[in-house]
Amino acid sequence: MIIHGNIKGKRVSSRELEERVQKAVRDGERTLSIRADGQHGIGGRIWPTGQKVRISVEGPVGQRLGSMGMAGTEIVLKGGASDDAGWINCGARITVLGDVTNGAHNAGAQGILYVQGGGGARCDTMTKANPRFEPLQSWYFRDVGDSFAEFKAGGIAVVCGVNPRNSGNILGYRPCVGMVGGTVYFRGPIQGYSQSDVKCVDLTPQDWDWLCENIKPYLKAIDRMAYLAELTRSIRDWKKLIAYTPAEKKERKGMKMPTTEFRAQVWEPAVGKGGIFGEYLDHDQTILPYITTGENRRFRPVWNNHQYLPPCAYACPSRIPSHRRASLIREGKLQEALELVLQYSPFPASVCGRICPNLCMDACTRGRLDKPLDIKNLGALSLDLPAPGKAGSTGNKVAVIGAGPGGLSAAWQLALKGHSVSLYEASDRLGGKIEWCVPRERLPQKILKKEISRFEEMGVSVHLKTKITRKIFNELYKSHNIVIVACGAQEARTIQFQGSDHVVPGIEFLKQVNYGKPMDLAGKKVVVIGAGNAGMDIACQSYDLGAESVTAVDIQPPASFSKEQEMAKAKGTRILYPKVTEKYDPKKKKIHFKDGTSLNADVVIISIGETPVLDFLPPSVHTERGFIQVNEYGQTSDVKVFAVGDATRPGLVTHAIGQGRLTADAVHAQMMSFDLIPEIKQVIPYERIRTVYYERSLVDEFAPQKEADRCMSCGSCRDCHMCETTCYYGAISRKAMEDGGFEYVVDPKLCVGCGFCAGICPCGVWEMTENLSSTR
Amino acid sequence: MEPAERLDQNHEFSLREFPYIIRWREDRCTRCGRCTAVCPVNAIEPSVFAQRLVQSEGSTPLPSTVRKIMHGIRQVTDMERYCTGCGSCSLVCPTVAIEPEYNPRHKFLFYKNKGGVPYTRGGRRNDPSPSTVDQMKFTRISMLTDPALDAGRHEFHIRTLLGRILPPEKLPLEVKDGLLAVREDIGFIPPVREIYPIRIGSMSVGALSPHMWEGLAMGVAYLNEVEGLPVVMCTGEGGIPPRLLTSRFAKYFILQIASGYFGWDEIIHAIPRMVEDPAAIEIKYGQGAKPGDGGLLMAYKVLKLIAKIRGVPEYVDLASPPTHQTQYSIEEAVAKMIQSMSMAWGFRVPVYPKISGTKTARAVLNNLARNPYAAALCIDGEDGGTGAAYNVSMDKMGHPIASNIRDCYLDLVKQGKQNELPLIAAGGMGKTGSLAANAAAMIMLGASAVDIGKYIMQSAAQCFGDEYNRCNLCNTGRCPRGITTQDPKLYRRLDPDKVAERVVDVFKSADMELKKIFAPMGRSTQLPIGMSDGLGVADKEIAERLKISYVC
Repeated sequence: MIIHGNIKGKRVSSRELEERVQKAVRDGERTLSIRADGQHGIGGRIWPTGQKVRISVEGPVGQRLGSMGMAGTEIVLKGGASDDAGWINCGARITVLGDVTNGAHNAGAQGILYVQGGGGARCDTMTKANPRFEPLQSWYFRDVGDSFAEFKAGGIAVVCGVNPRNSGNILGYRPCVGMVGGTVYFRGPIQGYSQSDVKCVDLTPQDWDWLCENIKPYLKAIDRMAYLAELTRSIRDWKKLIAYTPAEKKERKGMKMPTTEFRAQVWEPAVGKGGIFGEYLDHDQTILPYITTGENRRFRPVWNNHQYLPPCAYACPSRIPSHRRASLIREGKLQEALELVLQYSPFPASVCGRICPNLCMDACTRGRLDKPLDIKNLGALSLDLPAPGKAGSTGNKVAVIGAGPGGLSAAWQLALKGHSVSLYEASDRLGGKIEWCVPRERLPQKILKKEISRFEEMGVSVHLKTKITRKIFNELYKSHNIVIVACGAQEARTIQFQGSDHVVPGIEFLKQVNYGKPMDLAGKKVVVIGAGNAGMDIACQSYDLGAESVTAVDIQPPASFSKEQEMAKAKGTRILYPKVTEKYDPKKKKIHFKDGTSLNADVVIISIGETPVLDFLPPSVHTERGFIQVNEYGQTSDVKVFAVGDATRPGLVTHAIGQGRLTADAVHAQMMSFDLIPEIKQVIPYERIRTVYYERSLVDEFAPQKEADRCMSCGSCRDCHMCETTCYYGAISRKAMEDGGFEYVVDPKLCVGCGFCAGICPCGVWEMTENLSSTR
Repeated sequence: MEPAERLDQNHEFSLREFPYIIRWREDRCTRCGRCTAVCPVNAIEPSVFAQRLVQSEGSTPLPSTVRKIMHGIRQVTDMERYCTGCGSCSLVCPTVAIEPEYNPRHKFLFYKNKGGVPYTRGGRRNDPSPSTVDQMKFTRISMLTDPALDAGRHEFHIRTLLGRILPPEKLPLEVKDGLLAVREDIGFIPPVREIYPIRIGSMSVGALSPHMWEGLAMGVAYLNEVEGLPVVMCTGEGGIPPRLLTSRFAKYFILQIASGYFGWDEIIHAIPRMVEDPAAIEIKYGQGAKPGDGGLLMAYKVLKLIAKIRGVPEYVDLASPPTHQTQYSIEEAVAKMIQSMSMAWGFRVPVYPKISGTKTARAVLNNLARNPYAAALCIDGEDGGTGAAYNVSMDKMGHPIASNIRDCYLDLVKQGKQNELPLIAAGGMGKTGSLAANAAAMIMLGASAVDIGKYIMQSAAQCFGDEYNRCNLCNTGRCPRGITTQDPKLYRRLDPDKVAERVVDVFKSADMELKKIFAPMGRSTQLPIGMSDGLGVADKEIAERLKISYVC
């Protein structure tokens, strides 16, 4: 049956032509001949009847010839087709005896498109692969246009390349972009394809078999059997493009070339070994992890045992190592602990145990938790010890002038070191101010005597009642290696005001008390000028001598320590300041101050310090403002003369004792000709001590063992193994030493420098330090 | 008077004042110390805690106490050792037991000026709000009205021109025997480079660690030679390694000259040994992060490597003044600098100035427009980063880039020169991670290219910094990532090969994203520079100011 697309010069609409075709097939027609006139979609949608429907088309066709064509439909177009021939082909066999233009077989799913000529742009794009059906076939005899097989997902396209329009490129510009499946067989030259989507490979024998078999019906259909021999001449004439599999694409997705390879093959050959900075870097260029050991650590721990003084020893002018005393007690060496103190002071019981304000205890870290260690009582425990053994004689001779705390300390230390010491004292007994001026109440005679006698065991040659003159000094200077001046400050400082002649010097007052010839103060009103520690002692003594009232006045807030003040206040002493004395009227028994006030005063005692009497010194020993000028080692301007104690500057007894010891060390070094190693002067910061380990306990009863346990051992290792246990990496271990000591050591190969040892050390011994290495 | 140390909490800071508070999980912690080993500022330290429990067992009050001592991690409350929130601790913690948490109510800036020294840091501006450019949308989509392009299918040529582009009538071309030919009789033809429109902005050798710098440089070389993307990188002020300068890779690098002129005598010495001209010369007049402020490389960073490359002695402070000393006026200063630098390479290399974003940018531009040797103008906006600056400079000084570029571009349009003098936008590109979108928006506002700095540090080397003042330790030499430090213990954490790989990733993906933006807008072969009808913003005032459409 013939269906006309143009009836009497009038074009039949696409809709009408379609209706006629459908009706004809419904009516049983199986062979149709259509005379087309540009109608759209001719020949598609002939739903299968079980019989073949053959449609031959002549004349100009519109777009989408055979679109949605079904299996069983065979369309032959006698001439060229317009765009989109075979659009969503679902099984029809479409033969175009001419060229197809753009978009042939676009979105085709099944069926066959035989093209006698070539294809336009975007042919075979978006073709499908439905597993229910045989794959689609598209055959192009000549060549195809640009963007061929874009997004192809299935089906087989064959481009034979016979007599192509573009002889240099039969697949057009950039074929196969986005292609994910199917095959393109082609024969002839091409200029590139989408390399990210497909690969171009040789045909397999299976491909070749398929091609050789299926090309026959194609050539027959397009009436080109004459080319069979040429087209099937050699498998090598053909190539195929197939899509990369998803797995292959994933593999290819990474770098075209690993950067390490780029470095080795491109970068370093051009810029040099080791890269652009290679010539400047002298360290290993390997990559470091964040957590490193050995020399790559940022910080490393250091076991700084005894590298810092604990606050107690730092605060103690005599540097008595109370922490070591506690440590020895903890080790069960009580005797050694008590004896240790004698290496620092000849008067632990008198000074530490009685008269010292115990700066050590004020500083004690334990005091920040509950209350400080009872160092006073620990000092008192050393009372009954005999003199320690001393070193063998060195033959060096030292003269010490003055048997006060400073002179005794220096003599004691030098005697301990084996030097021959001659001690010269103007009075008839040893002790200086602690003997004369300290109220017996505060320092019972029994205790002082005991310690003085221990001093005497040391074998120092003592010359009492020997007042030193310039002449004697010169003799001592010549006959001894070293002279130590420890003459103290004996002359009371006074101030001049109207009636000041009637004022009693405090030092004389105190001496009189201790010498058993005290003033009678019964019922008297006493005013003490100067509210320092000595002033407080005077106030106490005055009450003991029967004074009715004692008032201490000062021009500034009182310099006395709180303990001394409390003792005096407890007895009734009033302290007034600021009070500048204007005059004293001995007749009216009244003292007047510059602020217009006055006090009744039967007796006025002045206690504003003392100055030394230095008339025996040669000019080579420089003095300043009445005191001998020294450095911390007691060295004067004369290399043979040293000085300690109040002769150098006013201070506490413990200052004098400390200076005595330091000076003795310097003297010893000088006589023995070695360099003095300076003592540690750094104090450990409180923050470094982990007080949190200790439980607050307010022990009332004194016991040495308890005190030793309370000691926080600031800056000195208490051998608790805390660090060793805490270290996650096992980098810390305890090493016993041959001398019975021990140390904790770090294995740098294990340590990461985390700082846990330093952070948790109860004693603050571990410290983190920058791990400097030579690589910088 | 009570000694001060006994009044323990007086004048001490509470943790609430600090910008980051360490959340430490006692129950998960194994006390391995990795966190404290790695903390760059020692803001955390191992410590000892005591627990005391009073309990009573039985049916009548019968108290007893239990005391337990525990080791753990403590955050210090020292203003000099504040937790910067970098999170190195979390990074290395094997049991997820520690993490810094941002404290939005911190009062850090009230205190961070001890000794009268204002807070200085590196990094970025602390402003997490989205920038103007981040609010831009691409609203002109080809929907049947224009031929739509497909980012995957079509070929794109995303390139820009760096250099003075002559107007058509001045092009040195003529028709000879019916064919187009280059005229010989024209004297100076401005050098122009075709480059990728996203560049790596100026970060100096010295500001960056050798591993970071080399990683970036290698990535750039890879992009050019393996991927075919002509990405260029600016050296920053501080010279260039001679090995690189005298290699063929030199052509991928823009040499920067700034007010300190560091490394320039070394470069000048090396010119005869160069085998390729550099991509361009950038004259730095200002930096967006710290406008009007100079630079200072602290002496402790000036080690052998830096000293050699900069041509200075080791261990000295290297100060770059805020301005070039021989600068007397726009006309005079810019002109003579451009002349000098052009001469050094025989007028074969584009030379352009970089200024910080400023209200006066248009004045600079108008001057450059009249200078035939000026190759471009680079403007660095307030969102730029820096290795070191005063906090106040970073947070409060500067000009946003969007309107600055837009004004300049529209000025060029008025003069009909919009295709002649390229504008380069820097500062905050990719601030919230949308690099390609930011770049595309800036291009459509009128920029020919954009520069990135912080973005590449984040994406290529996992820089910890963010707009909440996280990390920002760049100025201290203690960068925990190894990016901005000269300490080999730190920078050896960074693998230059990995950095290079990430640089490649970043540019490849930005390229794809740019295609995804440009394709629906129908642009594939030419950058849509100034194509502002494609932009929209849901903020009326921004829309009006930038002369783009308001959409909602």
